[in-house]
Amino acid sequence: MSHMDDAATASFAAGPVTDLAGSGGQVADAAEASSAARPVSDVAGSSGRGTRRSHGQLWRYIGKRLLIAVGLLFGMTLVTFSLTNLVPGDPVAAALGQRAADNPETVARFRAEYGLDKSLPAQYAAYVSRLVRLDLGVSWQTHHPVSEDLAKAVPATMEIAFGAIICAVILGIILGAWSAYRRGRITDQVLRLVSLVGISLPTFWTAIVCFYAFYYRLGWAPGSGRLTPGVMAPPKVTGMYTIDALLAGEWRTFVDASAHLVLPTLVLTLYTVGLLTRFSRTSILEVLDQDYVRAAKAKGLPGRTVFLRYILRGAAVPILTMVGLAFGSLLSGTVLVESIFGWPGLGSYAYQAASKLDLLAVMGVGLFVGLVYLCINLLVDLAYGVIDPRVRIGQ
Amino acid sequence: MISPKNKMFRLTGALGAAALLLSGCADNGNEDGAAGEPGDGATQIVVDTTFDIKTIDPAREYEPTGQILVKALYDTLLTFADDDTTTVIPDLATFESNSDQTEFTLTMTEGRVFSDGAPITADDAVFSLQRLQGLEGNPSFLLAGVQVEKVDEMTLKLVTDVPSPSLPAVLATPSCGIVNSKLVQENGGSTSATDSAEEFLNETSAGSGPYILEKLDTASEAILVKNDKYNGPQKPTYDTVILRNTEPATQKMNVERGDSQVALGLSGDMVDSLADNVNVESVPSATVVFLLINADSAISEITASSEFVRAVKNGINYDGLLEIAGRGAAQATGLVPSVFLGALGSADALKYDAAAARTAAEASGAVGQKLTLSFPNDIDPTGLNLTTLAERIQSQLSQVGIEVDLAPAPFATEIDAYRDGKEQIGLWYWNPDYMDPANYLAFGPGQSVGLRAGWPEGSNPAIEALVSQGYTTGDLDARRTVFENWGKAMNADSPFVPLLQPGSNVAYQPSVSGVYYNPVWLINVAGLGIA
Repeated sequence: MSHMDDAATASFAAGPVTDLAGSGGQVADAAEASSAARPVSDVAGSSGRGTRRSHGQLWRYIGKRLLIAVGLLFGMTLVTFSLTNLVPGDPVAAALGQRAADNPETVARFRAEYGLDKSLPAQYAAYVSRLVRLDLGVSWQTHHPVSEDLAKAVPATMEIAFGAIICAVILGIILGAWSAYRRGRITDQVLRLVSLVGISLPTFWTAIVCFYAFYYRLGWAPGSGRLTPGVMAPPKVTGMYTIDALLAGEWRTFVDASAHLVLPTLVLTLYTVGLLTRFSRTSILEVLDQDYVRAAKAKGLPGRTVFLRYILRGAAVPILTMVGLAFGSLLSGTVLVESIFGWPGLGSYAYQAASKLDLLAVMGVGLFVGLVYLCINLLVDLAYGVIDPRVRIGQ
Repeated sequence: MISPKNKMFRLTGALGAAALLLSGCADNGNEDGAAGEPGDGATQIVVDTTFDIKTIDPAREYEPTGQILVKALYDTLLTFADDDTTTVIPDLATFESNSDQTEFTLTMTEGRVFSDGAPITADDAVFSLQRLQGLEGNPSFLLAGVQVEKVDEMTLKLVTDVPSPSLPAVLATPSCGIVNSKLVQENGGSTSATDSAEEFLNETSAGSGPYILEKLDTASEAILVKNDKYNGPQKPTYDTVILRNTEPATQKMNVERGDSQVALGLSGDMVDSLADNVNVESVPSATVVFLLINADSAISEITASSEFVRAVKNGINYDGLLEIAGRGAAQATGLVPSVFLGALGSADALKYDAAAARTAAEASGAVGQKLTLSFPNDIDPTGLNLTTLAERIQSQLSQVGIEVDLAPAPFATEIDAYRDGKEQIGLWYWNPDYMDPANYLAFGPGQSVGLRAGWPEGSNPAIEALVSQGYTTGDLDARRTVFENWGKAMNADSPFVPLLQPGSNVAYQPSVSGVYYNPVWLINVAGLGIA
């Protein structure tokens, strides 16, 4: 069920940015379909001339995007709220034990405590009015404010997601470039096959196999969880144990936390790297035979300069689009990886909440994932301007 | 053109090597498999389980993981020994009851103290029990209809309108744990629904149990440390107990590698393939998996007929079901599981008789009809996969001429249809709330579970008479007879088919001793020792 929710949230959040990336759900196809050139005109408009004018355009554009984002978030609450309430099943029966659900007083008190005794529109209105004050409500699964739960779960997930996306981008671009340079040769065929396998393997399977091989059989990696039992978590600053341990100067904890990160990060990297490799290959191929690249080579520029400043930069815009979408899908793809590695992150929280019909927690997760998508899309849009001068001057 | 790429490949290789090196540097648990020693001579034990927990406020908790923790943090007035689930013994108090079993006088044990050193008095006991009643939370039903009064500083009295021989067993459940009333009241505690002490109790334990709470994260782990002030009978061995939320597949590898010392969530299949260096305690759990056949003709004319019920009871090959249930599982001889007083012997269990089943199925008009078997498919009671079980039942019933369609649904969805009595045939399970067979009287006509099978009061006066005797008979031998008679009558005439008790499997390192399964609190971590 959580997959359903995540997917719904994801596609909803990504929907309005289809001008950049197509529909958010079909990440690979959609992103491949949208070409590098399309976002150019969208970002800066086609009429802008001159720096000042284009700056004004940029700010107007950002303002417009922020307004749309607020509207989207509002719409997202409405969709999540409706979906969660459409699920057949009474959250009271799911939340209370069998005997307690037979007791009318217990049920009445539960309904009153969580506002379930009001009509659906009244419940929604109450939710939105709390949301405006940044109050996400209290989860009836954990009995904690949803915002507190998210504050604990999100850094745990981010720690693996950041690691995975960085590794996947580096590896994906290297392998994609290698594959493109050797187009049609055996290396290319092998890399394409490997990336296909990477995309096709279900993450929970990769997770179990990696855990079995590297922890159980070889003993190279530590066991499940974020830290070895008995190692105390560092004082909380960011919630990411590696960074917090560094800040507190606890080297042992840092090494331990980093070691626990390796396997889940590896699995999520494998999940994403196949996608990025294929995509980088396509994008690099597109620019490889362009005149300006040939001119650069003819000028006698060193290979490194040609690659980094001509080829990679030319191919960067579509790759960046893909990275943004891949990061969003990483967040929803962590559910099973987190459960195999005993990682108390956003994925496990979302799954628990959905299976217990914990309405407020489901909505909290939905809003958060949606917000991440929105932010990433915004950042990606702005980054186009930095990478591609045509965007800045609006040509 | 080649050189920058080569550089990058080298970089990638170096990164990979660094990652693996880093992994190698981490503590790989306790490689020798001994119960842990964090280094300074202190002992630590790691218990892996799949968390099902909302809170550890005794008056609010009612989930399996909560029970394990609350049992270790809070003593109860009465309790059960680790190896005997039938006899109530004193803990914080001793008890006496009148001959009617309507008045229970509890005298507090002298000298026992809370973890802050404060003596435990009748005030604490009265406050704790009244708080459990007043919060109207999940476990409040346990003491419904019980009046709790203080008699003097060290004595309290529990009075009920009807004879309640199961009350001592109820007082032994972790939810009836005694809290430090002064401390809890200072932190928002009260005996009404306005109580706001839950947050405090989720961070600080306010009990007298063998352990105190060091840390609780309901998503990942709980850490308990020895209560130095503990002066009760159950002296803990380990200085620290770490309970971790872990998936069963991961639990298996952890306990085999010695990263954890105890794994509570392994299914029957998993323990069969455990490595030799791990011990297993396998017993039938107190969970009873049963079929409900709706007796309401408005739901189905066919299932409402007694011939159909007989056809199903005879048509199931109970031994065949055990094949898929894995180690530790046993046929449920009746609705009362084998660990309780009044459980039936195997001679009284339902028996497979294909010929009789086929005749009864034909008489019921079920042959040639399609019925629906509903069950929750996202929950595995004690590691048993209900979907596999439902498929096996479907194929067995088909052999005697009864065709059923399987209708799996998520628990949160299906529970509604079950509670409203809308299922034609349902596959469900029942976990005991407290250690007394009176728990199971809920299956009687007009009782809460009975109604879910469309079985209202007046359907079977003989069974109803036994239900009221079951609730009120106090004498142990008489009680056993009442429950045995009730169990036989239910097997013969109720719309419920007890199928099996899945195995409870606790896997543990040979260095650990004192592993016992308990139907209510699963495992007593304070009872774990070093072998």
